[in-house]
Amino acid sequence: MKILLTLLICAGSVFAQQIGNPTTQQGVLPPRGTFAIRNARIVTVSGPDIENGTVVIRDGKIEAVGTNVSVPAGAQTIEGRGLSVYPGMIDAGTNMGLVEVPQGANGTVDLSEVGELNPNAKAIIAVNPHSAHIGVTRVEGITNTLTAPTGGLISGQAALINLLGTAPKEMAVVPQAALVINYPRIGFGGGGFGGGFQQPANLADTLTANERQVEQIRKLLRDAEAYGRAQDAYAKDKSLPRPDRNVVLEPLVPYVRGEQPVIFRADREAEIRGAIRFAEEMKLKPIILGGNDAWKVASLLKEKNVPVILTGIFSLPSREDDAYDSLYENPAKLQQAGVRFCISTGDAGPEVRNLAQYAGMAAAFGLSKADAVKSVTLFPAQILNVADRLGSIEVGKMANLVVTDGDLLEVRTRIKYLLIDGRPVVLTSRHTELNDAFKNRK
Amino acid sequence: MPKVRSRLIVATLLLLLVVNPLNAQRSAIDTYAITNARIVTVSGPVIERGTVVIRNGLIAAAGANVSAPADARVIDGTGLTVYPGLIDSYTNLALPEAVPGPSPGGGGGGAFFLLQQQQQRPPSGPNSTQPAGLQPEVMIEDVIRPGGNEIESWRSAGITTVLTLPRSGIWMGQSALINLAGDTPQQMIVRSPVAMHVGFTPLRTGTYPGSLMGVFSTLRQMMLDAQRYRDAMQSYERNPRGTRRPDTDRSLAALLPVVDGHMPVVMFANSEREINRALDLANEFKLKLIIAGGQEAEKVADRLAKQDVPLLLSLNLPRRTTAAMPEADPEPMRVLRERVEAQQTAGKLAKAGVRFGFQSGLMTNISDLMSNANKTIENGLQPLDALRAFTIWPAEILGVKDQLGSIEVGKIANLTVTRGDLFDRNSRVAHVFIDGRPVDVRPPATGGPGQGRNTLAGQWTVIVNTAQGDRTISLTLQQEGERLTGSISGPLGAGEISNGSASNTGEVRFTVSVNVEGQTKEATFTGNLANNQIRGNVAIVGSAPGTFTATRSGQPN
Amino acid sequence: MKRLLVLLALITVGVSAVQAQTETLIRNATVLTVTQGTLQNTDVLLRNGKIAGIGKNLKASANARVIDATGKFVMPGIIDCHSHSMLDTINEGTLAVTSMVRTQDVLNTTDVDLYRELAGGVTTLNLLHGSANPIGGLNTVVKIKYGRPASEFLFPGAMPGIKFALGENVKRSSTPNLPGIPRRYPNTRMGVEETIRDAFTRARDYKRTWDEYREAVKKDKNLVAPRRDLQLEPLVEVLEGKRYVHAHCYIASEILMLINIADEFGFQIKTFQHVLEGYKVAKEIAAHGAGASIFADSWGYKIEAYDAIPYNAAILTRAGVIVSMNSDSDERARRLNIEAAKAMHWGDLTEEQALKLVTLNPAIQLGIQDRVGSIEVGKDADVAIWNGHPFSVYSRVDTTFIDGDVYFDREKDLARRPELAKERATLEQAEPNKPPARGQSPQTPRRRPSSHEDDAEVEKP
Repeated sequence: MKILLTLLICAGSVFAQQIGNPTTQQGVLPPRGTFAIRNARIVTVSGPDIENGTVVIRDGKIEAVGTNVSVPAGAQTIEGRGLSVYPGMIDAGTNMGLVEVPQGANGTVDLSEVGELNPNAKAIIAVNPHSAHIGVTRVEGITNTLTAPTGGLISGQAALINLLGTAPKEMAVVPQAALVINYPRIGFGGGGFGGGFQQPANLADTLTANERQVEQIRKLLRDAEAYGRAQDAYAKDKSLPRPDRNVVLEPLVPYVRGEQPVIFRADREAEIRGAIRFAEEMKLKPIILGGNDAWKVASLLKEKNVPVILTGIFSLPSREDDAYDSLYENPAKLQQAGVRFCISTGDAGPEVRNLAQYAGMAAAFGLSKADAVKSVTLFPAQILNVADRLGSIEVGKMANLVVTDGDLLEVRTRIKYLLIDGRPVVLTSRHTELNDAFKNRK
Repeated sequence: MPKVRSRLIVATLLLLLVVNPLNAQRSAIDTYAITNARIVTVSGPVIERGTVVIRNGLIAAAGANVSAPADARVIDGTGLTVYPGLIDSYTNLALPEAVPGPSPGGGGGGAFFLLQQQQQRPPSGPNSTQPAGLQPEVMIEDVIRPGGNEIESWRSAGITTVLTLPRSGIWMGQSALINLAGDTPQQMIVRSPVAMHVGFTPLRTGTYPGSLMGVFSTLRQMMLDAQRYRDAMQSYERNPRGTRRPDTDRSLAALLPVVDGHMPVVMFANSEREINRALDLANEFKLKLIIAGGQEAEKVADRLAKQDVPLLLSLNLPRRTTAAMPEADPEPMRVLRERVEAQQTAGKLAKAGVRFGFQSGLMTNISDLMSNANKTIENGLQPLDALRAFTIWPAEILGVKDQLGSIEVGKIANLTVTRGDLFDRNSRVAHVFIDGRPVDVRPPATGGPGQGRNTLAGQWTVIVNTAQGDRTISLTLQQEGERLTGSISGPLGAGEISNGSASNTGEVRFTVSVNVEGQTKEATFTGNLANNQIRGNVAIVGSAPGTFTATRSGQPN
Repeated sequence: MKRLLVLLALITVGVSAVQAQTETLIRNATVLTVTQGTLQNTDVLLRNGKIAGIGKNLKASANARVIDATGKFVMPGIIDCHSHSMLDTINEGTLAVTSMVRTQDVLNTTDVDLYRELAGGVTTLNLLHGSANPIGGLNTVVKIKYGRPASEFLFPGAMPGIKFALGENVKRSSTPNLPGIPRRYPNTRMGVEETIRDAFTRARDYKRTWDEYREAVKKDKNLVAPRRDLQLEPLVEVLEGKRYVHAHCYIASEILMLINIADEFGFQIKTFQHVLEGYKVAKEIAAHGAGASIFADSWGYKIEAYDAIPYNAAILTRAGVIVSMNSDSDERARRLNIEAAKAMHWGDLTEEQALKLVTLNPAIQLGIQDRVGSIEVGKDADVAIWNGHPFSVYSRVDTTFIDGDVYFDREKDLARRPELAKERATLEQAEPNKPPARGQSPQTPRRRPSSHEDDAEVEKP
């Protein structure tokens, strides 16, 4: 027990010399075991905060939470006096692990496949467990990301991953978590482009072209639906002609049946409306990703119960005349309207570590502090259908926990301990290592 | 449709020729008298009923008690009003059509490219030390030519005289004031050069200056160089023996009257900040400044009045030209305000004591000129000031107040005769005299596109071949001079093109954001126009280059 | 009548957001003075554009505006040492040396992002040329007097500056090879060094030529002066210490290269901008006497940014370098308070050290530290009132003052929104704004990208 504590506390210095073989490229996962964090403030997120409480973790799961919880014999104990325990943060709109350096190192970019329709491009295949982004991100308390491909009209399938693991398989929470569709855009701007919308010079032409693109998607989804039925029919009745297997259509079947969510990238009002209409027509289970204009479509989103992954908190307002705080306020407005949402950086990797500040800004502009925390923990878990496993501190959930010395969203707060999937994680990254290597250079 | 319309016009013209003897061949007899007309002299009181006598191209007499000479051809002016001929003080009229490349029948291409390439005409900037666009020595009088539809439609709108200048450039060259009649360029010219012209559009050739900042620095450096050129030449002339001979430099020599403050400099500036920048630059070099454009000039009215800087104020008033579409973003309030305020500019300038001459602002349909003038009147401009802005004010600003701008004895007999008040919506131009001779007047064409400004303009279908295969996108182009604007849409995304240019040799170039592999990337298209196709290469940042072929998907417009 | 309404609307809600206020008393605030610690329950008096008093129970004249700031924080106006806001064009990229171009020639006072920055407590910007060339154009230091003429934006007495740039942007690593267009020199960091060396060699000769002329003309009045060269004049000013160099750079080797050139020619780099690998050569930067103006934590967006770490501010500060935190982005500029706070999170700077990153330190880097950068009596009344500690993610700006005048006020902003909606409705009914029955497809004006604008070679319309 003592060894572990020492390891956790002194990790920085222990591993400081490992430039060139950073701990971020560990070949062996830290072992699971039995841990207890005691005397801590426990922000369960799903229920009230617990002062001076204890969390027990065993074999990767949260075993007990409360004030009257006893520490099991043999548990390794973290003294939590003055500290707070939060569920790990989840960023539901990233490309984590799919790109190392976007500019000037094309070889490190695995974001988008050739062609328009690639439902079979699976992020979990390409996610790089040894990416420097992963270590840099998790030491700031982000334990999970949805990592998505980006190309074409149907980009592929996003994976929900733990930011820990020596292989994609070890990282995967839900390897095929959602289908990602780029709903045809009306113009430029929004989302990851720093704000301001721009219309194309010929909007009418664009709308016509977009309709054709939507038709392409529609046709493929209908084919997949027919394909699924044919396969099922053949499975029941082998006298039918055997339908050939098809790697493009096959992965679409659970999505066209509404069993799994489909993420639509859409920022403008008309794009969001279009995506909702299309999802309804095709009986899909839609999630909007981006959503800079979601505040304008709040009543429809509420009516259709469509959740939104907001990536534009820090975008400049979409239009010249929009209020200066129109995107800071977007979450609060959705909350008031009863729309399900979560907050994301929408970043490829390097900036994902700043997720807490995105939520904090929403709280500065109308969202309650408690909802701001939920917007990066429980809300994304709910939207991604993993609230039974992630997003709050509840018995039976995966032990993705962050122990802090203060408010989770505040910049000045430090992460003291981190557990992912019940495994204690050393708080080092490529950045701490470079810091250690150079900070004392004389 | 265009064919039908042009037939109609021809038919109308023929009809006019038959019906109206004044519109017949140029008369050999040079004396005219317009009797019983209302005469708006501009310089003096209105003569409610009087006679104007024209002899030998000049106004020989005008007054209530003037009688028609015996040798005069008499026009009964009952019910007509005689005005000084209207002046349009900023146009590209009488320039040869800029024809880039092999594609016939259109405009585009800057005057400089034109001057360089037009083999049939002597280029006016040979042996220049400066690249095209930076040649102040270019004189528009060297390239103007009489006749053409544009001139006809202008004078049919009552305009007798225009300032005409090169289409583009930074140092655009020197303008000429021309009458819109005459068989030769020499007959047309009233005054040349009138002014040096400056535009602030960067060169699009990839060479310096490629930005607005660079444009200002280039203007400064060349004026400094001109000052030194003057000093060096003077020094050499004082003492040629023993002094190394300075290189001659036509560009710098052309700037001498500018930096010495003799020749006015017309700078194109519409927004408040553009006008302020022009004023700052002019103050820095003590230039004799005239602002052309001036849409937001009322915001700088105090400064303009204080420094006594006149304007050539555009009547090409902004208005919404785009359709209402639910998917469209609302227009910025700034734009909405600008459009409303632009109609008030003239009135506010007049109140502030700023002199201005009206100009058509390169509008394509000259029939908008009078209706827009009316809008400025509805928004606060006194009708008399509106008339002055078409006549005596531009005459003063352009240095021809002894020749033009009012009905006074001895001035050039440029007269615009209307049925009804000039600013009455129902008025009609009845006769136009230029240099003392009547010219044909035809009803203004409505709606048609301007002459000679579209070659690449229109719809194109573009096949883009990259490592990812062929994609077919559509491309919409607009062309103004060598500048291309437009947009793409299709599987590579939709967006506006930027840095678009078309040379008169048919080189086409533009950049546009495309969606490739799910990322927005800059793609630069460079190609050549031949046989109504554009073929060339596309370079996409971060991706393998490709090729493209663009074919017209509609009729060129 | 309708026209009258429009006129009225224009007059009442135009750009008249600025309120001339000769005297304002901010009562009972927590005052982050930067130079004299944090003062609790303290009043700040702004009078005639200056900070006239700091203390308890200050008296103001009868017509002063009094703001009860109980529970609120007063902070000096934030200074962004690397901005491209309000520039109609950022780069003159056609040449490798463009010291003749001036950002001051292309200011756009109507850029709405200026207002958004005021709403983030920012009052002063260092407007820099982009990074398309080893020696770029001249900078402009402005106060964000949104709604005022450009001449009033100019920060009086700020040191003139010039932008240099090294590395990938200058090499044009991301610029595609286009058929028929030769690549611009330089293409390597070696060529960058040569370009700068050549420029300063020419500048030194130019200075000699003029010095010789000034001597000779005393004897011979008829001598023709040498040619004035607008490209070399600013470089002569750099050699004479009259113009600050702000050098965009990333990696350690190029930082050392520029220090060597500067030492050799006898001038000083005032700030290294971005300087992502500054932490690797902190002692050399400190020894040269240069400052560093950096991002808090941007990294990994290109190869030369791959070794960037968020401990840069702390390491450089501890090495004795004056460090500021900048935006290089109209977006990021709105939250520089949080960027500064990051230096406490990563690298353990004290609160005062972190505050200086966006106040006094950038002021020093721009030569305006006697005017702004801290709350001290006699300094310019450039302050912002925050509803919480500016280092908290939960805080936002209530009011921003420049020279004692209000340029942003959240209450007023909220109150103005219905009026603006009304104005829009009226404007849309105006004749020139009505859509034609058949018209072109709608368009909105182009905007610049908002991050890493240095790289942008676009022009605003």
